[in-house]
Amino acid sequence: MKEKRNIGQMITTVLPFAALVALFFIFIGVVNMKGYRLDMYLKIAFNEGVVLAVVATGAIFIYTLGTFDISLGASTLFSATMGVMTYNKTENLGLMILVIFAVGIICSLFNSVLASVFHIPAFVTTVAMMSVLTAVAAKIITTEGGALGGIRIPSSVLKPFDSMGCKIALLVIFFAVSLFMFRFTKVGRRQKFIGGNPLCAYLTGIRYNKYTIIAFVMAGIGVGLGAFLTLVYTPSVTTTTASSIGMNIFIAIVFGGMPISGGPFSKIYAALVGGFSFMLLNDILEIVIESNAAYGITQIISAVFFLIVVYLTSMNYRTAMLPR
Amino acid sequence: MVEPILQMKKITKKFGSVTALSEVDLAVYPGEIRGLIGENGSGKSTISSIAAGMQKANSGEMIFKNKAWAPQSMIDALDNGIGMVVQESGTIAGITVGESIFLGELDPFTNRLGWVNKKAMFQKATEAMEAIGVTSVTGDMPMSALDFQTRKLVEIAKVVRKNPSILVIDETSTALSHDGREIMYRLIKKFRDDGKAVIFISHDLDEIMEVCDTLTVLRDGNLIRTFTKEEYDANLIRTSMIGRELKGDYYRSDFKATSLDEIALEAKNLKYKEQLKDISLQLKKGEIVGIGGLAGCGMHALGKALFGALPLESGEVVTGTGKKITDPHVAMKQEIGYVSKDRDTESLSLTASIRDNIAIAGMDRFAIGGFLVTAHKESKYVKEQIENLSIKCASPNQSVSQLSGGNKQKVVFGKWIGCGSEILILDCPTRGVDIGVKQAMYQLMVQLKNEGKAILMISEELPELIGMSDRIFIMKDGEMKMEFKRSEMLSDADIIQYMI
Repeated sequence: MKEKRNIGQMITTVLPFAALVALFFIFIGVVNMKGYRLDMYLKIAFNEGVVLAVVATGAIFIYTLGTFDISLGASTLFSATMGVMTYNKTENLGLMILVIFAVGIICSLFNSVLASVFHIPAFVTTVAMMSVLTAVAAKIITTEGGALGGIRIPSSVLKPFDSMGCKIALLVIFFAVSLFMFRFTKVGRRQKFIGGNPLCAYLTGIRYNKYTIIAFVMAGIGVGLGAFLTLVYTPSVTTTTASSIGMNIFIAIVFGGMPISGGPFSKIYAALVGGFSFMLLNDILEIVIESNAAYGITQIISAVFFLIVVYLTSMNYRTAMLPR
Repeated sequence: MVEPILQMKKITKKFGSVTALSEVDLAVYPGEIRGLIGENGSGKSTISSIAAGMQKANSGEMIFKNKAWAPQSMIDALDNGIGMVVQESGTIAGITVGESIFLGELDPFTNRLGWVNKKAMFQKATEAMEAIGVTSVTGDMPMSALDFQTRKLVEIAKVVRKNPSILVIDETSTALSHDGREIMYRLIKKFRDDGKAVIFISHDLDEIMEVCDTLTVLRDGNLIRTFTKEEYDANLIRTSMIGRELKGDYYRSDFKATSLDEIALEAKNLKYKEQLKDISLQLKKGEIVGIGGLAGCGMHALGKALFGALPLESGEVVTGTGKKITDPHVAMKQEIGYVSKDRDTESLSLTASIRDNIAIAGMDRFAIGGFLVTAHKESKYVKEQIENLSIKCASPNQSVSQLSGGNKQKVVFGKWIGCGSEILILDCPTRGVDIGVKQAMYQLMVQLKNEGKAILMISEELPELIGMSDRIFIMKDGEMKMEFKRSEMLSDADIIQYMI
């Protein structure tokens, strides 16, 4: 029995990778054209992209279930805030890292438990959590940060981790674990099945709550890692830290080839491909449009790209039904 | 000479490399009930859906009422005279009956400010339901509160309300129980009497020979032969359909009720709303128990309850080992499998592949250490089910939505048989399945029975219940009305009096 793949499927599989490669070369071209230092700009793009990619990798588990978490940015901010607070109180690096991950997981887990207890869609609880976490973090930052407008730890604390090699290693380890879970264990396979048809999954004996909780735990680990890498990059936290991650992840993973409805076509690599593609696109636009309006225009162009990608990636599923 | 109302000339339809229809000619006349019959994947639904605007042919010509016919959509076709009731569920759950019937046609109920007069819409919807002979459903009822049969009747009302010249009914009877079918047959006859035409698709040879004036047989996308009523010969039609003679037993060849002594599953005093009123029954190993009744009798609820998928008000379901079934997860762990009547919604993930759908229930069997899923072991497991059940597919990675009804049902069977289910709850297992696949499924059930597995088969087809069951329970209004033991003398007439 030979597998037959149609051209549409192949295009939607290859397109995100092609886009990433194209964006990478455009980025190099634009930086060179402007006469900027390529190594510096590559480092900036990588540092931004790696945070988005790790948080998105964890988030893929949630999106696979056919739901989404809008509070990931707020959770990252809150985790980083609690990490900084812990270090400033104890000066214990190990404890700080532990708190960052624990808070990330607890915030994420709280969403799924609330959703399970009250039988409401998980994304609804994440909307509420986003407001609560942002408000609490802002309160702590403004109270503790005073005139500085932010809280910080000494830059030397996380300096040993501030290398490309270390960040790549962390990203690779987390991605490899996630990939393994997603593709080679019952957990990932059942999560994809739930995303495809939750009712059928229930009537096949799959426990929705169990796999939702696991998905949110994985997302929580991603949040913790994202918060840690954020602090490694910039050892201070302000009220705007990671503020746009929640929405950016949504756009990034769709850029990476993940269907917005989740299910069996979900792809874990969409987090990496999409995360870096999104940051490269953003950086290209910000370099090209050198004005105060750059941010707004970047957002609009990203939105247009988002719609195009959603249209292209969903084309297969819209034409797949055959009445026989 | 009467002119055909619809002429389809040399219609060809391809899905990628698969030819679903190859230069098929079909002419339908006013006052005619035309039957279309053939195995799953023969092209029946494809040709009728092309006429009804669901999809376009790759080549060929259509003439409807002496004009070129090229509907842009099903709505366009219905507005201009051809309406179709589709095989699978064609309704939306989150809306009311009224909204479902008038979906996309709210203008007559909408004022200048955009407000919809729901009261008037509900009233009209109730009238539309009454017009087809359904009085128990009102326009304000939520679709989600209706069972599968009633949702199908809403679909019929939605199409018939537009008064089409040709009504296409695609394999709908298996979704309906006795009373629902009576409603449908009355409608079909009325269409004929009014000089309109009906294209009726069914896998039930007896039914289609009874209902239709002419019968067209399709096989592998080709028109094989059209029979007039005078030419009807069940054996000849069967042979035309499958291209060979049907050999071996159809139903069970024995007429003795047999089972092992050991109880596999027991329901004790189950109560659930009006659908289950103090229901108790025992299912033994090596036994096929049939459950029959009319729509709303509670038999489908019983299937779900036995699988732990209904929040019972009281009573319990226990296995022979005394394990209480509290939810589908526990049921699955106790090696119970459940095949739902609503296959596309409840038994399959249509966006997933054949591999995913078969493997999902069996991962505990082939996963290393209970969690590690390797491609090699999974492929072997899935391939085994595909081969054992002769599932016609291009590859295990093919989307299950691309399969015909019969092959989809085989995938569902493969899901539960592969994972070693000892108890199978089969709700209308042969719904939408052609005669060849039906025979294969009946033989499989006999094989499973002989292996000591327990089968509870819920069915709206009395010949199937009589032909396969060791014991038959007839339900009415949520109660068990009668129990029959397997016997050569048992007939439809013996049973039907307890159903109505």
